[in-house]
Amino acid sequence: MTMTEDEKNLDEMFATARENRPLLSDDLTVRILTDAEQVRLNQIKAADRPRRSYWARVLDGIGGWHSFGGLVAASAAGVWIGFAAPDFLPDPATYIYQQEAGLALADLDTSFLEGAE
Amino acid sequence: MEALTSSSTSIRSQSRAADMPSDDTLLGLFAQGDAAAARILTDRLGPRCLSVAMRMLGNRAEAEDVTQDAMMRLWKVAPDWVSGQAKVSTWLYRVTMNLCVDHLRKNKPDRLADVPEPEDGSPSVADRMQDEARKDALQLALEQLPERQRQAVILRHIEELPNPEIAGVMGISVEAVESLTARGKRALAGILAGRREELGYDDDRR
Repeated sequence: MTMTEDEKNLDEMFATARENRPLLSDDLTVRILTDAEQVRLNQIKAADRPRRSYWARVLDGIGGWHSFGGLVAASAAGVWIGFAAPDFLPDPATYIYQQEAGLALADLDTSFLEGAE
Repeated sequence: MEALTSSSTSIRSQSRAADMPSDDTLLGLFAQGDAAAARILTDRLGPRCLSVAMRMLGNRAEAEDVTQDAMMRLWKVAPDWVSGQAKVSTWLYRVTMNLCVDHLRKNKPDRLADVPEPEDGSPSVADRMQDEARKDALQLALEQLPERQRQAVILRHIEELPNPEIAGVMGISVEAVESLTARGKRALAGILAGRREELGYDDDRR
């Protein structure tokens, strides 16, 4: 297939276009590198984050030192109430024990006593 | 920025002595926090993005925005880049082409012929006409091609990519690339022939 005049012209135009490919202006180079630097710094910051200590992350999980103080106080109160309940509260230990004793008596099979009479 | 430039020159002189690091290696280095790698990647890949975008859009300012955007996507993808899976340049050409297509579709009603009056803040009709006048005959002809043909012709004949790589960029088969470039080239020759007659160039030639 022979090349037509138009195609030959076109190939010349492509060659000229290849020779005159645009270069990056200084301004555009700076814009691109500023973006790169910003992304790079963000990535470094993100990579640093999981390096915090185990306890620091646990504290973050429950809402920081402030919440941790409240949590400690509430837990201590709970332990104290279980240990020595104030008079106005029923003592849970005795309550459970009595219930179990009552059940044990009710379930007792007394039929053998009837037969003996 | 100064520190960045000087450190990149040292890397560049080192790499010239040894083998030039691949785009893949440089992207990995950048992901590990190496700023100098960004400089080399910009020098190497930035002009390719700009060249493609200029030919797709026919406008320097828009092409520069697209280039910056495409490179930004490259920086962001760096930590997740799987080395050896794809060519960095192929990926970047693809991103650039997609951004150009988005840009063309968004700005379609905004083109010279369709704008009756200049709006505030937008380039005046005179500016636009000057832009148009600055375009070479090839650019004017390229802009008349259908999008896919234009992409294929630019990648083949201006960027000189091999057909399999163009297929990768455009997400089509090698056969489809061959067909698009052939049809595109024929259409371009036709447009230019018509234009030459229209401008009376034939009379000037011998």
